[in-house]
Amino acid sequence: MKLAKIVHEEDNVATALEDIYAGEQVKSRLKDNELILMCNHDVPFGHKIAIAEIRSGDKIVKYGHAIGSATQDIEKGDWVHVHNVRDDYKVLDKEGKPLPGQDG
Amino acid sequence: MKFCGYPRADGTVGARNYVAIMPTTGCVNAVCYHIEKLIRGTKALPHHQGCLHPSQDTEQVTRTLINLGKNPNVAAVLLVGLGCEMVLAEQVLEGIRESGKPVELVVVHQIGGMLDTINNGAKIAAEMVLEASAIQREEVGLDKLCFGTKCGSSDTTSGLSSNLVVGEVCRIMTENGGKFIQGEVCDIMGGEYALKKLCVAEEHGERIVDFVRDLYLRGIAVGADVRGSQMTVGNVAGGLTTLVEKALGANAKGADVPIQTSVRYAEIPEGPGRHIMDIPGHGFENLVGLAAGGAIIHLFTTGRGAPNGNPLLPTIKVCGNAKTNVTMREHIDVDVSSIIEETETVSEAGQRLYEYAIDVANGKMTRAEILNFDGTMEILIKGPVI
Repeated sequence: MKLAKIVHEEDNVATALEDIYAGEQVKSRLKDNELILMCNHDVPFGHKIAIAEIRSGDKIVKYGHAIGSATQDIEKGDWVHVHNVRDDYKVLDKEGKPLPGQDG
Repeated sequence: MKFCGYPRADGTVGARNYVAIMPTTGCVNAVCYHIEKLIRGTKALPHHQGCLHPSQDTEQVTRTLINLGKNPNVAAVLLVGLGCEMVLAEQVLEGIRESGKPVELVVVHQIGGMLDTINNGAKIAAEMVLEASAIQREEVGLDKLCFGTKCGSSDTTSGLSSNLVVGEVCRIMTENGGKFIQGEVCDIMGGEYALKKLCVAEEHGERIVDFVRDLYLRGIAVGADVRGSQMTVGNVAGGLTTLVEKALGANAKGADVPIQTSVRYAEIPEGPGRHIMDIPGHGFENLVGLAAGGAIIHLFTTGRGAPNGNPLLPTIKVCGNAKTNVTMREHIDVDVSSIIEETETVSEAGQRLYEYAIDVANGKMTRAEILNFDGTMEILIKGPVI
């Protein structure tokens, strides 16, 4: 059984603690509960795996905070990375508008 | 656990007991190195600033030098000036003198050349070491501890293990009344609003966001979007998806401990608890800012193995990458790969690191100290070099 780490109880992703391959079972511990799920893709060490269904537009949550949004539906057990997550971050001015130079 | 440190006249307590040989301009670093070699117990604090700055940077360098001199790990200071630099050596002298510790100044132009300045300076430094060496460690409360932190040569394990463990140290040591300072504005970028929520006072939260805006706009002024340079190809290959994710992993070094204040670079934060300083991620300027802020120990997390320390700050390298703990063993002080292997909890490893840090505060040497890998430092300037 491969291991993945959930950092915060509100997270919807876990981070692979070793290389995990499609079809393998993954175990994650959250406080006293153990979560076991099937990995749908190859997920290298340090990369993220969805531990819940995530709909397109939903926030990806790690460390208890939104780190980006899903650009497509993500199933439980899917690999979560730049191919299905958008970085929403911009540096904002005091009115909440993006500072210049952040077109991307 | 007990902290036994060197008591200072201003009420602070040091983990080390150095006589600092401090240049007011990089032009006289050579003089400082020579005195350091001649006189045991001295530490040269070489940097490359002190002249040809916009006035804001002259003020910043002056503040940094004064507050480095006030660092509790310093027993006495010999200032070395050239005589024509923008930083006013007399101002630095008076600033350090406020702390009540011995401080003297030698100026190369006044004495007439390097050799006689070394002669005069070394004689002063020798007397300072004689006096400093008589200072005894005394048992004081754990509230006298002040730790700084940063991450460097990070990898995937940093945000999953070592940073979380340092976050636990932050929680324990601030509960015991200690002071904890972190910064790395480049790494806060993306996580500034998460930090803002932890601020006890609204004004400090907004100021932390201002630190990020300032860094971003300084990048834009030279045509660079520093958001992009913060997310490296290596980060993405390692599994980091967004800048916010990276920032949250870096900010984890303070866990969710409330933030008491924000301070400018090299300012001394007031009161116990967690504080955020406007410091860059770059290690040389970072550790100097924290040392000037009053840190006496530095907790430096690394994944790939960053070897550097700082002349004044015993720097404890904390690593969660099991491979690095073998290949870079001579540089790593505390192995927390147990967190990745899930054989130890974050709170257990945090307690272990806290106790290790107190041992270091009590005199145990860090690997960077033993290897003499702690001689490089720099003072942050924000404007152009003129």
